[in-house]
Formats: sequence, C-alpha cells, structure tokens
Amino acid sequence: MTKNIKYGLILLSICAVSAFALALTNSITAPVIQQYEFEQRQLALTAVSNGYAIGSEKPVEADPYVTYTIDLTDDGQLAGYIVGLKSAGYGGQMTLVASYKVSGEMMFAQLLTHSETPGLGAKAAETSYMEKFQGTGDDTPVPTDKTMLTDAEAQAVSGASITFGAVSRAIEAGSTYLKNLGGVK
Amino acid sequence: MSKMKELSKGLFKDNPIFVLMLGLCPVLGVSTQVSNAIGMSAGVMFVLLFSNMIISALRKIIPASIHIPAYIVVIASLVSFIQMVMHAYVPSVYNALGVYLPLIVVNCIILGRAEAFASKNTVVDSMLDAIGMSIGFALGLTLIALIRELFGSGTITLFPMGNFSGVINIPWFYDNPIRVFSLAPGALLIMGFLKAFFDWNSSRKKDK
Repeated sequence: MTKNIKYGLILLSICAVSAFALALTNSITAPVIQQYEFEQRQLALTAVSNGYAIGSEKPVEADPYVTYTIDLTDDGQLAGYIVGLKSAGYGGQMTLVASYKVSGEMMFAQLLTHSETPGLGAKAAETSYMEKFQGTGDDTPVPTDKTMLTDAEAQAVSGASITFGAVSRAIEAGSTYLKNLGGVK
Repeated sequence: MSKMKELSKGLFKDNPIFVLMLGLCPVLGVSTQVSNAIGMSAGVMFVLLFSNMIISALRKIIPASIHIPAYIVVIASLVSFIQMVMHAYVPSVYNALGVYLPLIVVNCIILGRAEAFASKNTVVDSMLDAIGMSIGFALGLTLIALIRELFGSGTITLFPMGNFSGVINIPWFYDNPIRVFSLAPGALLIMGFLKAFFDWNSSRKKDK
C-alpha cells in the first residue's frame, strides 16, 4: 500500500513538473501561433480572391463541408464567393478556402490546415495541386474520382487517394452550396 | 566503454536504423523528401538528447515497475514542447512533418534508448549515446530520403532561403522519375538494399 502511494506520488510529481513546463511554453508560443495562422488565412483569402474586394465572413452551420462564406465584389457588384471548407483527409480534418464565381465555378483554392502524410497527401498544400479543379463546378463537373483526371494528374495524386477524395468532395460541396443559394442573394 | 566509443557507436556499429532496426515507421514515412528527413532528425535529436538526460538524472528516483509510464510522460512532454516551438517559430518544418512529429512519442529509438541505456548510465554517457544515436538516425534517414527523392522525383528538397526556392532539380532524373521510389514500396526496397549493404560491410570487417 505504502509502495503504491510512493509510486503514485513519483508519477504525480513528474506529471506536475511536465504540466507546468508545457503550460509555460504554451503561454509563450500560443500568441505567436495565433498570429501566424491569422496571417496565413489572410494571405490565403487574398490569393484566392482573384483581385476582387473581400467582404465579411458569414458563418454557415449545419453543413458537413461549408463553414463560412465571404462575398467577393467588383465595383460593388457581387462577383463571386470565398467559401471556407472542411473535410476528412487521411490524417484527420483538413480545412481549405476556395473561391467560386456566382455560377458555382471554382476559381482558386488553397489548403489551410491539414495533417496529411508528408510527400504524399501533403502535396495537396502545393499551389499546383488545386489547378486540376479550376474551372470545374459549373458546366464541367468537379473531378471526384481519379478516372476523371488526365494521366499526368492521376499520377500526381497516386498514393494519396483519400486526400484527393477529401479535397475534391469539399470543393464539389462548396460549388453545390453556392448553386443552392441561387447565385444572387 | 570510452566516451568516444559511446558517441560513435550509433553512427555505424549500432546504427539505430540499419543495425538496431529502431524507429522504422517514421523512417519509411517521412523519407520522401530530404527536407522532411532533416526536420524529423532535428526533432528526434532534441527529444532523444533531453529524454536521455532527464531519465538518466532521475534513474535512482524512478522505480523499475513505473519506468514505462514515467518515461512516456517525459517523452510526450518533450515532444509537445518541440511541437509548440516548431509550430510557432519554424511553421514550414512543422507543416512538412505533419503527423510524424507527434508520433516521435512512440518512436522506438527514444523509448528504446531510455530503457536500454539512460536508465542504467550516467547523464554524460546518456548524452553521448543520444548524440551518437541521433546522428546515426539522421545519416540513415537522410540517405534514404536522398535516394528516394533523387530517383522518385528527380529533385532534392531543402529549405527555402531568400531567392532560393528550396528545390534543386537534378537533370535527367527530373525528366525520368521512377515513381515507385516515392511510394511506400520504394522506401521498403531502399531500406532492404541499405540493410543488406550494412550487413555485408560488417561481416566483411569481421572476416578481416
């Protein structure tokens, strides 16, 4: 009994010291991480905005993929949307932003956060990865299967089919959501 | 064993990857790019060095029956620490390592060296063991990544600096990549050939 209490106290002491050290580290790094993520998001929004003016964020609830929308305007006229998307990749949840024309045609997309496998699924974070989805969503369907890609594009996503499926389904969902809005509010 | 031998044994004689066969999951997983290998090696080096130091310093306090939970708390705390620091100050490396960074907690090298060495030796010897083992791990991992990336993609990816994008395209290899090297079977093939080479080399030395 005494031995168990002694062991418990030793483990408790190690845990307490570890928790204190981690709390201290977190208090120093958390603001830096928050600032970095804010800057990354702003850069991503600007990158996908196609030069249009970026409006304010409107949260979307009860949609499995769409988390928010932002109006894109050109001289005060609605020119499209930026849609915040989430999807389940190989390594867990991934978030991305994609811009669409009012018709639901995708213009640009960028991965924001993910835990995909380095060298395989993580390639989705590269700018060139999203090019295969550009111009799809309206007349051309979003490629959600590798058979809908060219040989070179299919080669580029080989070894990371789950990531490709997650990204393509999210982009398709964003397009469908905007089409259901009716194009013009 | 002399201090120098303690330091150098991890490089070739007891190389953690090719001889002890420790930490193979992250080795096979992150060795698709040289930059990932360097980042992973830095993470393992930090965690291994500090976990060996802490565990060696506490070796007379931690009873044998609670070794594993105590070591896991120490190692997990160090990994969480480096995860927060990398996320804040080197986010590109943090993003590149992805899920393999938190998985350092269960990397067999860390727990293996804690149990086999640090729990029985002095702090200085444990530090030397950690440095030697992590350099051996870094050499092995970087070698595998270099071969895989060169043959599989025709590139060598380092870290972007100033005008340098971080990616070096290697002529001929870039235009004629052998894709299997980038995929999991390529990692296993290279691992197998390098293991065979290390075994052949050590048996050759024994014969002499």
